Amino acid sequence: MPASTLTDDHAALNDTLIARRYFEKFDRINGHMAHVSAELEAEGYLSRLEARMIGGYVARLAASFRALSHKYLMTGRIVGVLPGQPTFDRHESGFPIAGELMMMAVDAQQAAAHLAGMASEVELKDRMVRQIVGDLTIPTQLQYALSQRLYYEALAVGGLFWARNDPDAQWIGNEGARRRYLLHWAVYDTQVNLPVIYLMEVEDSGNTPLPKCARRWPAVQAHLMAQSLQGLKLLTIAQGFDTDFADLHPKSLRRIHLGPMYSNSYTLQSGPISEVLAAANAPAGEDWALVWTVEDLQSEREERVKDGWFSSVDRQIFTLDPFAGRGAETGTTRMERMIVLPERPFQALVEKNPAGFAEVRKFVVSAGGRVIAQR
Amino acid sequence: MADFETQIRESQDQVARAQAKISEITGKIETARSKLDAGEGAIDIENATLEDVHQHTDLMNANIAELIMGLDDVTAGFSRDFDEMRSKTGMESVIGFFSSAKSESMRQERLRGASIDDKLQDLIAKSDVIVRLLQGQLDMLNTQKTRVESNLTGTLEEREGTVAALEAVRAEILAMDPKIITLENQIAVEQDAAARTRLETEMAALNGRYNGLVQDEQVMLAKSQTLERYIEKGKTWVDSLQNQAATQMVLINKLQTDTKQRVVLYDALTSSLKTAQQQDVAHRINEIGVKTDQEAQAAMAAIGSATNDRMADMLEAHEDHMVFARKILEQKAKADERFARRFASIVEKHDKNAYGE
Repeated sequence: MPASTLTDDHAALNDTLIARRYFEKFDRINGHMAHVSAELEAEGYLSRLEARMIGGYVARLAASFRALSHKYLMTGRIVGVLPGQPTFDRHESGFPIAGELMMMAVDAQQAAAHLAGMASEVELKDRMVRQIVGDLTIPTQLQYALSQRLYYEALAVGGLFWARNDPDAQWIGNEGARRRYLLHWAVYDTQVNLPVIYLMEVEDSGNTPLPKCARRWPAVQAHLMAQSLQGLKLLTIAQGFDTDFADLHPKSLRRIHLGPMYSNSYTLQSGPISEVLAAANAPAGEDWALVWTVEDLQSEREERVKDGWFSSVDRQIFTLDPFAGRGAETGTTRMERMIVLPERPFQALVEKNPAGFAEVRKFVVSAGGRVIAQR
Repeated sequence: MADFETQIRESQDQVARAQAKISEITGKIETARSKLDAGEGAIDIENATLEDVHQHTDLMNANIAELIMGLDDVTAGFSRDFDEMRSKTGMESVIGFFSSAKSESMRQERLRGASIDDKLQDLIAKSDVIVRLLQGQLDMLNTQKTRVESNLTGTLEEREGTVAALEAVRAEILAMDPKIITLENQIAVEQDAAARTRLETEMAALNGRYNGLVQDEQVMLAKSQTLERYIEKGKTWVDSLQNQAATQMVLINKLQTDTKQRVVLYDALTSSLKTAQQQDVAHRINEIGVKTDQEAQAAMAAIGSATNDRMADMLEAHEDHMVFARKILEQKAKADERFARRFASIVEKHDKNAYGE
């Protein structure tokens, strides 16, 4: 195995308290994410359906992180290699590495077998009390056993965000002879270690409804999963989909990156955000900033293009950002960045007023947990 | 190269056998301990048995190391996938003979559908199997070590007691010497028969006590020596267990590092292959329908300057990336070095591809 520098920004959390604080932070942030998507829905930026889908994925993400927090609850307290330390990407991500979620998928396959062989929660707690009162020692091993039990229970319950969450279709309505669907799926990107949600509106001119079509639906799912790469622009994905499926017409494609999460004490970041967080000097629990990026691609019109000698198909022409020449070419109709952050970092942000943040939508989390949108 | 499942089963078998042997020795050490308590002096842990165990665990570790190396062969499947993404299939080449555009579009379609996610998941599952195998062995070694260690602590205390008693006996014997000499002198000069008899009785009692003490000394010396031998054996065994545990840790460490890197590396490669092959084509295609669209050409012109900006950003980010990259590379180098030190011969074999020679 040749050495690779690709995993250099992966950091392991060895200390019990640091690892717990990390997951606690995420638990709180996940709660705010739901508020932000509700706020965006109220503004009309997202449709009700889209907001519901995003909310669903955020809830699954929260469940996954809670499962991971159980898995690593006893990190640093028990000797041994398993389960090891939680590893996260500390550069431009702040999220656990994708390998963690893949590992979770492997564990989930064996969850039932593990649970069958484990003592129940009540029994473990009973034994803990006995050890504490009887031997006057800390029941570390029992605590570990219980943490693993909770982990496997969470896996058995399901509803988790996996490394890849295959597409699902939601019927929206009919457009003439065509049916409209909202396809939604999500992946946990291996390169940048971030959860990414895709929402695609599709018009279906086929004879059988898409989700019931045994011929197209599995192919569509496989195609979309294989194309869900960070490096591909939305235009590329939509064009490829349009070309490969003659009777499916992608009308809009949205990609939502939930992250990165910046934190002065956990992650390394370059640029103004690092100064903002350092200046905020926020106490534990308020030392973070979460960035959302929403990429949006809309179809402008449809053209009939010859495909082969005797047939022709409808091809979408997508609207590209009219200001695309300004920065990097994005391959989207528009791209919006949002930042969610607690009061203290927000105060520091306003005071510093760094360049480049004027166009970023800001959502401030107040002490009571309310999310307030700021321009 | 045997397939992965067979190899895993073989390793599991060997782990089970090694564990049986290891528990056997710990069992023997514990039996010896109870025999010692019962007053028997024999310890039947021969060096040969230890050697046997060592040989067996070496064999097992070599097997597992090979399994870890063997994952490289499992991953050979990935490089096939990558090659397929880069090149054209036979069918595509044939069609390309008639229409290069059709051939290219077929290849693009194939590329869009290509995915290595299943293989990645498989790689993780397989490496997890090996890690659990190693972890089982490590746990076992650790429990054995704790048992022998607690046993040894008791024995050490006992030996300390024995040595202290031995010292006391020796001191008493030494203290008796002047008394005996004085008494002998008194007997030599004593004229009165009655007094002489009394002194001689006293002398006999003293001699009896002396002989008793000397005998005690012998017994205690023997016990102390037995305990010492026992401790010696126990220590060797603890050392050996510790060594084996270290080996397991090295194996696990190597495997986990490699798997983590592999997942990221393969995914990065797939991503970059797909991105590079599709991106510019997609943009050209979008413009076919919008031939008259001037803004697209402006965008194309802008790509050059935007790329420059991006490069500058990346270089900036690269700087602090490098700072901690170096640190982690050092750690990685250490893990590799530890692995190489322990498994130099296997690595050599693997590199030369000289299995079965």
